[in-house]
Amino acid sequence: MFLALLELKAARGRFLLMGSVVVLVAALVGIVSGFTTGLGDDTVSALRALPATHIAFAAGSDSDQFARGLIDERTVDGWRREAGVTATPLGVALTRGTTDRHVEVDLAAFGVEPGAFTDPGADEGKPLAANAPQGIVVSRQLVGDGVRIGDTLAVDRLGIRLKVVGTTGRSSYGHVPAAYVTADAWRRIRFTTPGTDTRPDDLPRQYSAMALKLPAGFDGKTLAGADRRHHTATVPLRDAFAAAPGYKGERLTMTSIQTFLFLIAPLVVGAFFAVWTVQRTPELALLRAMGASRRRLLGHTLAQAAVVVLAGTAVGAALASAVGLFVGEQVPFSLPAATLATTMAAVALVGLAGSAFTLRRVTTVDPMIMLGAAR
Amino acid sequence: MTLRLHDITVTLGRGDSRTTALRALTATFRPGVLTALVGPSGSGKSTLLAVAGALLRPDEGQVLLGDTDLAALTDRERARARRTRIGYMFQSGNLITGLTAEEQLLAAASLADRTPRAVRARARDLLADVGLAHRLRHRPDQLSGGERQRVALARALLTEPELLLVDEPTAAVDRTRADDLTALVARTTHQHGCVTVVATHDPVVVGAADSTIDMRDHTAAPTA
Repeated sequence: MFLALLELKAARGRFLLMGSVVVLVAALVGIVSGFTTGLGDDTVSALRALPATHIAFAAGSDSDQFARGLIDERTVDGWRREAGVTATPLGVALTRGTTDRHVEVDLAAFGVEPGAFTDPGADEGKPLAANAPQGIVVSRQLVGDGVRIGDTLAVDRLGIRLKVVGTTGRSSYGHVPAAYVTADAWRRIRFTTPGTDTRPDDLPRQYSAMALKLPAGFDGKTLAGADRRHHTATVPLRDAFAAAPGYKGERLTMTSIQTFLFLIAPLVVGAFFAVWTVQRTPELALLRAMGASRRRLLGHTLAQAAVVVLAGTAVGAALASAVGLFVGEQVPFSLPAATLATTMAAVALVGLAGSAFTLRRVTTVDPMIMLGAAR
Repeated sequence: MTLRLHDITVTLGRGDSRTTALRALTATFRPGVLTALVGPSGSGKSTLLAVAGALLRPDEGQVLLGDTDLAALTDRERARARRTRIGYMFQSGNLITGLTAEEQLLAAASLADRTPRAVRARARDLLADVGLAHRLRHRPDQLSGGERQRVALARALLTEPELLLVDEPTAAVDRTRADDLTALVARTTHQHGCVTVVATHDPVVVGAADSTIDMRDHTAAPTA
């Protein structure tokens, strides 16, 4: 280790250069990871916050099911009769509104039954109530946009007026801040035709999907049987994220970028150490001639790689975090400590794997090249 | 400790390019004696150094350093022998780029599992012995060819080797420095009592040697 550190110090220019590359790769991976998580949150955090185990869609659609499918109340009732199952209708609709203080907002209206397990309650103000069907609880992003408790929010073009009664945490759907309304209010938003005056009782008693809490013993076979009986397609909550608009495409894009970065990182680090090893082949031969064992040279090389890769990754992680702080809430960026730690561990691992490409050459250097006989 | 090479044969290369580098060579090298290996290029001088220094295993024969047959050791044991019992001074490329003269010695000590703190004083003494007390903090690119060879000699002596192997020490330095270096190697041999074997073409080195082995036809012919 002493010699490894001496060499690091002696060749600090080269190692700093390599370390800088590792810093940039790690920072880039961290930033992409932050955007991946942030965009994911921006798309599905309202779904992720649902305390449901499964989401049931109407059978027959494979994509964008929240917008395409409809579940009627008879289906909800049917599921409620399944042993141990808790079911509640869930409406999801993207819309726009304007407050009486002329704040214009886009919102993802989530229709829930007041008091049901999908009801988010309220951090401030009051939660939704069955006896106050015009109430709306807005997420924190809408508060940031200027919506306040006590405002009246008119849904654009429909003339539906909702009273802001409470606020809840950050949640969004399809990059639009979420707001929670009663299931009845949601049906009016979803099914009212602009310019008409449809009576609430005349609106279809249908919803986008159904949130379920399935008991522990509800296995795949039982689930398939229930789906057949009720003409539904039920998926675990996490799989339901794919039904959110753009979620799959975004994930694919960001994951592809991350994958390429993880492929590039070991190649860059490996290429550096390969060149470094070739350049110092005479010195490795000298060390071998002086009695350094292959194992010691391996440890020596790995120690140098570890110092460069780990230090570079740590600085890259700090840089990615700084970028997260800098962009704040202006862009969908989220880099929790656990995500950052996992991502950076992966970067360090692939970086070290890259340096391992050169290990064979390190161990096969012939000390005889130090002697005239081999020159 | 005496070094005895007994009936050493070495062949190098493979297939059609296979050649005999040493043939049935037998020689004895005594402690405190500087032995010069002379002979034309390709006569086997460097190969003899490689065999004696446990860098190359002979096809046949024994390499006895004291009671230890270096030829019979495993790779790991031979590496251990090189770092604890044998010192080397090569023709060139002796030093690690970027390390100061003092660090060259400390690095060698670390290979022998000695801590820098334990050997720093001795390293400085050795560098002073070879006339480099004022060059401790100089890197190889700041040293002359002769000074680099002196650093290599000091480093070779750090572990108090029983055997000192020197390959063409004066080949890359001017005449004055070559003479100084030759005298230094001879003095070191006598002071430290090590077996010293020098492969050389330089008549001055031969003149300073206590003994000479003339390498002819890939074997040894002692002349003095």
